[in-house]
Amino acid sequence: MVLRVKKVDALQGTLDMLVLKTLSLGSQHGYGVAAHVQQISGDLLRVEEGSLYPALHRMEQAGWIAAEWQVTENNRRARYYSLTRAGRKRLGEEEAKWRRLTLGVDRVLGIG
Amino acid sequence: MGWFSRLRASLGVSPHAGTFDEEARFHLEQRIADYIANGMSPDQARREARVRFGSMTTARERTYDADTVPWLRELAHDLRHAVRRLRRHPAASAATIAILAVGIGANAALFTVVDQLLLRDLPVAAPERLVLFNWLEGRTSMRVGMDGVRTTDDTTGRQTSTSFSYPTYLHLRGSSHEVAELFAFHPIQQLNVVVNGLAEVASGQYVSGSYFSGLGVQPRYGRLLADADDRADAAPVATITHAYWQRRFAGDPGVIGRAVLLNRIPFTIVGVTPPGFAGALDVTRSPDFTVPFASEPLLQGARSDLRRPAFLWVHVMGRLRDGVSAERVAATLGAPLQQAMLAEWHEAMAADPERAGREQPRTLADGSTLRVEPGQQGLMDTRRRYVQPLALLTACAVIVLLVTCLNVATLQLARGMARQREIATRLALGVGRGRLVRQLVVESLVIAMAGSAGGLILAQWGADALLIWSPFGGPIQVDTSLNWRVLAFGAATALGTALLFGLVPAWRTTRTDLVRGTRQRGGSAPPFARPLIAAQVALSLVLLVAAGLFVGTARNLRAVDPGFDPERLLLFRVQPQSNGYQSDRIGALYAQMAERIEALPGVRSVAVSRHALLGFSRRADSLVLEPQVSDAGAEVNVVSPGYFETLRIPLLLGRGFTARDDVAAPPVAIVNRTFADRYFGGGSPIGQRFWFGTVKDGAPTEIVGMARDAKYADLRSQTQPTVYIPVAQDLPGQASVAVRTTGDPLELVGPVRRAVAGLDDRLPIFDVRSQRAQAIEVIARETAFARLSALLGGIAVLLVAIGLYGVLAYGVVRRTAEIGVRMALGARRTQVVAMMMKDALLTTVVGVGLGIPVTLIAAQAARDVLADLLFGIEVGPVVLAMGSVLLVMVAVLAAVRPALDASRVNPIEALRVD
Repeated sequence: MVLRVKKVDALQGTLDMLVLKTLSLGSQHGYGVAAHVQQISGDLLRVEEGSLYPALHRMEQAGWIAAEWQVTENNRRARYYSLTRAGRKRLGEEEAKWRRLTLGVDRVLGIG
Repeated sequence: MGWFSRLRASLGVSPHAGTFDEEARFHLEQRIADYIANGMSPDQARREARVRFGSMTTARERTYDADTVPWLRELAHDLRHAVRRLRRHPAASAATIAILAVGIGANAALFTVVDQLLLRDLPVAAPERLVLFNWLEGRTSMRVGMDGVRTTDDTTGRQTSTSFSYPTYLHLRGSSHEVAELFAFHPIQQLNVVVNGLAEVASGQYVSGSYFSGLGVQPRYGRLLADADDRADAAPVATITHAYWQRRFAGDPGVIGRAVLLNRIPFTIVGVTPPGFAGALDVTRSPDFTVPFASEPLLQGARSDLRRPAFLWVHVMGRLRDGVSAERVAATLGAPLQQAMLAEWHEAMAADPERAGREQPRTLADGSTLRVEPGQQGLMDTRRRYVQPLALLTACAVIVLLVTCLNVATLQLARGMARQREIATRLALGVGRGRLVRQLVVESLVIAMAGSAGGLILAQWGADALLIWSPFGGPIQVDTSLNWRVLAFGAATALGTALLFGLVPAWRTTRTDLVRGTRQRGGSAPPFARPLIAAQVALSLVLLVAAGLFVGTARNLRAVDPGFDPERLLLFRVQPQSNGYQSDRIGALYAQMAERIEALPGVRSVAVSRHALLGFSRRADSLVLEPQVSDAGAEVNVVSPGYFETLRIPLLLGRGFTARDDVAAPPVAIVNRTFADRYFGGGSPIGQRFWFGTVKDGAPTEIVGMARDAKYADLRSQTQPTVYIPVAQDLPGQASVAVRTTGDPLELVGPVRRAVAGLDDRLPIFDVRSQRAQAIEVIARETAFARLSALLGGIAVLLVAIGLYGVLAYGVVRRTAEIGVRMALGARRTQVVAMMMKDALLTTVVGVGLGIPVTLIAAQAARDVLADLLFGIEVGPVVLAMGSVLLVMVAVLAAVRPALDASRVNPIEALRVD
């Protein structure tokens, strides 16, 4: 099963966290973020374009990430996003929240 | 993000729009490259990538949601959507906008006039600091004479006026320095002016030296009057208005320092007032010349009022000092007013012992109460008279606007029904009903705004036309160009009408049954359409009845027999007294003038009289008759020997006046038939005697002739007992001259001017016109009301016809199947026509039925102003029936075409639909 990650998902903020995590590994363009999430999750997670770009724009406005135009290896102009100091802090908070959430859910399900 | 860029972004001008597009393009290209690398064909890869990306527009919008004000963005979207929709049906949209433009235009035109006449502040600095003084009479009056408007106070029932004596003004000014800067003014009706050797008549006003500083007006050129000019020993100076400067001097700056003759006295023009400023007199008056009060004795000579005690004529205003309230001014000046009034009363009585003997003694407590009222609009006396007629016209215009709204609502409803499928589909797709209603209302708003813009253009033209038709009985010059208040009015009207005609249809259209809405095509007229049409019919009836009343009034007035022959008569006026003529010379002047003009080719005869006929002016006097009659009185005109012959008023008994009826001869008079009927029981008045005034005092006047009745000041008034006395026995300081001509009277204007100039080239003649033009002007107000009400009524009826036609035509299309079935089942064409006609007539008759009580209620509400305006006609069964029949006829005409269309439905084809 493929999980589609959207803004309206029950797990609000998940997309933000995935994007921030991806960018914490180095600056990346939008397609790169989507491809990375899909690849690392072993095709379990798929980021929807209709949600990715709004999320990127929103996080840029919030100051968590910064964007600049760069040239790719094959000489194409692309917009590269990188994590800011505020974004790094945010990622930490999101990860802590996620851990608490999954821990709680696991306990309820009797997995933990 | 700043609010400004958010606003810009909301309206679709996002600074990031390009960014997203480029990013998305890059994204797609990468995806396609990946797919191809995984073995897809380029075509397939492109398709798959696009499908996976989803809606580019949605993604773009959602990306920039954060940058926008959501409701504003939706509004912008709705607006674009509305404009697109309207452009898709250009004819229907244009018709709707045109209908609204007419309705809004009529209202905006009236508002322009109301704004200028009743709402506008004086164009001076800080007008809110200005106050206007008036008095409320105490136990009894303390005046010996008055030249001004006096009215009855609504709340106290006591007399009130804004006129004070000049000595009172000086006294008040002397006591007021700490609370306000007082200034005074008084209009001059006609000044005999000689500019560059050319004699003419101009208007003017006297002002105190503090007038311009008190009002806070700066000169456009030169300087304005100051206290130094308002002294008895100061050289006579004058300022002129910008309008007069443009008109008479073509805007020549060299006018400063120019000498002009005012009533034969040389004055120097020292300044020009700013454009738009016309003084603090009623807005309809613009005094060409402004001169100081100190020059009044020069201009008026022996008739000067400047030093007269207890003679009320000057208007007093003030500018409040900082931090001073109007109440404090009233408290400060209340006592000084009463002291001044009492002192002047005593002074006046000392000068007139005879009157003093008749009068009760006065005390300080009898003095009037000083009232201080807002003065930012200047004088309002004559303007108050426009309130009722304007209110009546405004009511008519508002009814037209209501009909317009109902009409457009009907059309919108019909269009909405035609969109039922679209709307049902969108509702089914999950678009919120609120959103849909809003979208439809925005569409209405766009229509209304366009209609309002058109209306404002029409209003420009309409306001001018309104004033040219002079609905208030005389010429009025006001600035009818657009200003922000009129624009605000237009915008507010647009908003109001959009809600009025947009909400109901929007509500109704979106309340649709999803299943039926997407499928159903049958049904007859849109719901609500019939009540809307009936309401239009009802309101139209009110307008039609008003039109009937005013058109009838104008027709009745035109049919009035004036009692004299108004054709081929040239009229003009002169006022030799203003040029310093004394009595003896005035008589000679009139005689010579008549002689010279009579000698002109094309002239039959000439008459001089104090008052022209049908000129709104008259003299009325009390009389004492030989056989005592209580409260006897008559209207009086002073006429020259040739008068009855020139005006063609037949003499029924006795003789006319001759040159021998002069000041040395015994006083004689000619009376009209009504006089003889009223006071002598229809018997011959010849040889009877009477005295002017209330006592048998001095030589009696003997009646030597009787003339047929003729109308005097206007056509409306019942003919009163009238006395004519010979000009030589009561020489008037100003007169009207009537010239009976053989051809077109206006051809003699030039020769007559030259003839008078030949006698005295400093004596201007004015109000030159034909008696026919005078007769038209005397009913100008009624004519204007007839035209305006007919126009408004016509618009309303036309709208009803359009609405009815639209709904019926729509019904035919919607009911094609039903009509087809009926015809297939044997209904004849005539039956189909009858069915459609019945539909139209029923709606109309219901409307008329509603309209009759509405009309009666409206007539009752307007009864005062109607009593004032109507002549020989009243609200009754005849007018109501005429209006009702007209509406029914219009309904039949509007229904004919749709009914015939319905009867031509081909049953076989009709049943094939759907």
